[in-house]
Amino acid sequence: MLKQMLKQWIVLAFVAIASPPLIAQTASPAAQQGGGPEASQQPAAKWQRKRDMALQYRSLADFYAAMKKESASKQRAPLPDWAGIWTADSVDSFAACLGGSQCYFRPAPGDTVGPKLTPVAIAELKRGEEMRAKGLIYDDNLSACGPAGFPRWLTEPFMREQIVTPDETWVLTEQANEIRRIYTDGRGHTPEADRYPLPEGDSIGFWDAQKLVIHTNQLQSRPMGRNQPTQSENMETVEIWERVDANTIAIDVWLFDPRLYLEPWYVQRLYKLVPNPDKSLRIRYWDCSENPNNDVTRTQEGATDYKGFTFTNKSNSQSNH
Amino acid sequence: MISISRATILMTALLAFSSLVAEAHHGVSQFDDKEITLQGVVKEFQYTNPHSWLIVDITNKDGSVTTWGFEAEGPGVLMRNGIHKSDFTPGTKLTITAHPLKNGQPAGSWIKAVRADGVEFNPRLRPSEPIPAPSSKDTAAPAGSGSAAPVR
Repeated sequence: MLKQMLKQWIVLAFVAIASPPLIAQTASPAAQQGGGPEASQQPAAKWQRKRDMALQYRSLADFYAAMKKESASKQRAPLPDWAGIWTADSVDSFAACLGGSQCYFRPAPGDTVGPKLTPVAIAELKRGEEMRAKGLIYDDNLSACGPAGFPRWLTEPFMREQIVTPDETWVLTEQANEIRRIYTDGRGHTPEADRYPLPEGDSIGFWDAQKLVIHTNQLQSRPMGRNQPTQSENMETVEIWERVDANTIAIDVWLFDPRLYLEPWYVQRLYKLVPNPDKSLRIRYWDCSENPNNDVTRTQEGATDYKGFTFTNKSNSQSNH
Repeated sequence: MISISRATILMTALLAFSSLVAEAHHGVSQFDDKEITLQGVVKEFQYTNPHSWLIVDITNKDGSVTTWGFEAEGPGVLMRNGIHKSDFTPGTKLTITAHPLKNGQPAGSWIKAVRADGVEFNPRLRPSEPIPAPSSKDTAAPAGSGSAAPVR
């Protein structure tokens, strides 16, 4: 029975990559989202409309420039209040993303539209699912306590904060102390000749009323998650951050990397305000060397193993349990 | 047409959920799917990022003692789940349930711990949920931050 289920799951994983429409015909919408009916996804038509917005431009840089030009004539609004501690929405960012491991590669809600992937991306997704099915999972970035990097940064769980000032907005996560600085003082990107790849890239932005529009380039080549395809240094993104209600910040994200996508792809991330009535929650520094019990290594096969524990010997087994 | 059973969808969901356990820093494939429940006495609570470790002395059937380590997420997640460093001072008696390491070492992924006073602590990452209510012991904590269930 278990063997049969495992076999079916492996088939499901491959089908999810190779033929998204098939999933739509066989699995419930809740299963597709990895969550229940409370999933706060936007309707498929809206998703598709947003995806289409970027397609009329030659690049995401042009898309960003067009939005900036359009906003120039608008009246300025007060900066929004994004204070507090926030975290990734449970349905949007967890079940649908980390477990499925296709945050940036899965079809839109309702399965009406899917990302157009290059053969390289399809092959790497397939290889990643094969590794995952065998339990061979190691995180090239996080397990050594390096940054997740952008755009994976958007999918990170745990606590996050936004520090909004007139000239810069800092968006940061608890995980690996990753901070992105969004320059909104009118400066452009680093001149092309002086660019070098960065985990979070170089981000510039502008305010369209209370929406923060961001363009990011200068990114590093790195896996986009565990057993995920590797993005190239040509990855660029456009984001629109907006507090859509008292407890939710929604981020529309367009990303394009010619190594992985045939055309820009759109996803949305949702962050929720974390209740903190007694102000006891605080974001603390994240240091892997603080506790040797957290040291992990990649096995020869590609799995994760601990280097050793301070509370026992490597040879010490569970004995009577 | 490939038929996908409910069991398969459930399994997919379970695999998806399992990734929440330790997305911080490493995967979970080193842990066994099976659960074990042990009784012991807290030796130390290492309240650290990216993972915390609850170090517990477990008395074996033959009377010998093995020191185990139970991994959870870091302080940020623990605090959101209402688990403070002071909840597990050395000497605290508890019953702990975990996914043990596959390689036989005395360590596991902490699922839940029930103290001798009956209060249960669940350290799993539960994104965008309210902070659970404090137990009756935590009189200094503010009221109204969650349910009254003695589970954290």
